Amino acid sequence: MTRVQPLTADQAPLLARPYYGPDGSASALTATLAQVPELLEVAMPFIGRVFAPGSVDLRTKEIVVLRVSALNGCRYCVDTHTVAAWDAGLSAAETRALCGAADADIHWEEREAALVAWCDAFCAAPAPVEDAVADALGEHFAEHETVELALLAGATAMLNRFCTALELPASEATVRRLEEAAAR
Amino acid sequence: MSTATALGEAIEAGRVSDRLWLYSNYHCNLACVYCLTESAPGVPRRILPADQMVAAAEQARELGFRCLGVTGGETFVIPGMPEILAKLGRLLPVLVLTNATLFTDRLLARMRPLADLPVTIQISLDSADPDVNDELRAPRNFARVIEAIPRVVAMGIPVRIATTGDHNSAEQMERLCALHRSLGVPDEDHVVRPVVRRGRAAANEMGVVAEAKDLFPELTLTADGAFWNPFAPTVRGGLLDTDLLVTRQKLPLEGPAAALLRLADASPEGTDTTLNIR
Repeated sequence: MTRVQPLTADQAPLLARPYYGPDGSASALTATLAQVPELLEVAMPFIGRVFAPGSVDLRTKEIVVLRVSALNGCRYCVDTHTVAAWDAGLSAAETRALCGAADADIHWEEREAALVAWCDAFCAAPAPVEDAVADALGEHFAEHETVELALLAGATAMLNRFCTALELPASEATVRRLEEAAAR
Repeated sequence: MSTATALGEAIEAGRVSDRLWLYSNYHCNLACVYCLTESAPGVPRRILPADQMVAAAEQARELGFRCLGVTGGETFVIPGMPEILAKLGRLLPVLVLTNATLFTDRLLARMRPLADLPVTIQISLDSADPDVNDELRAPRNFARVIEAIPRVVAMGIPVRIATTGDHNSAEQMERLCALHRSLGVPDEDHVVRPVVRRGRAAANEMGVVAEAKDLFPELTLTADGAFWNPFAPTVRGGLLDTDLLVTRQKLPLEGPAAALLRLADASPEGTDTTLNIR
């Protein structure tokens, strides 16, 4: 049960309407942010830009989002981005490993192993990222890419807190995909 | 371009209203059958504090709004409403909507300074037939209103009569007009407006459906935020309608004013004219 009422399409404020689909659908995140439309209209473009492929590709970004979300224990973001990660090319074993499954036997290639280690260090805040971890990341990512990754990880952590505090439910489509995958 | 400049141009072009509406509250001593806000005694009051109303009026004047509207709920259940209106009236011309059933001698005495200010009182009266009027509004409402109107007129405060609904036949409307003339209110100060199918009117299946495209953009502040039009911040089943919410931000007024302008600029030309609810 969510802590606040997500707004259905017929109650969507004027500024929020462009963020609802033609069929009136909207994610729980969108429909909740719609309660404050002037924040929605700045938050959604920001989220859309930060989470979309930029100088860093989508697979890499989904690794960051899912790992950070798992470490922060955000059920909504883990569910939503497990499915998103599959769509970005990660395997079910890889997403399970990012979520900390003990039986997930994944050997990340060096670049992604450095990224996962950096995500772990990021989530150990307020401790700074250790030099060795930062250096390892720097061997594979340019400075501007590191900036993009840090902003992504920070935005993810912010949304983890937001979604967990308000107990947002994953979409029916996401739950269905997860259930189908578990049944296979 | 500054918001004030853009607002001024939009007002001149007739794209947005020059009036800022303030919902002083949502509670009321009556429970009219078509009430947009499900107002009644005992409902959540949702009061817009007096200091915010005055601050909004000051900022409205700076931005280029030319007049204010104050509505509710019943405005005069708010303690100090005559004094609030006097403060507002020193900033901009004010139209205040009321059912005029709380106009005791004491309250009327406190309203006396309003006669020297640009404050107009709009009083609801739906029929010349007491039974018809009172069925829509409240028992003995007609008698109270008929008593109040000439007393306010005699004080030198301009009065408008507002009739809500299309239930009056031509003959009934003529009798209503004869009545308000006899009470000292000329024809040009009688407005007739439709019931809008929102709030309690929707529950009672009354009135016309009105969406944003049917309603003239008139920035409206309530305790819950800024809305598209005074017909927008309605309540249904105790829940606030948000479909015509503009921003949660109320002050500084520039924020909601700028958002309203953006939305109005995105609306096709003349889309509010279908129902002509102004």
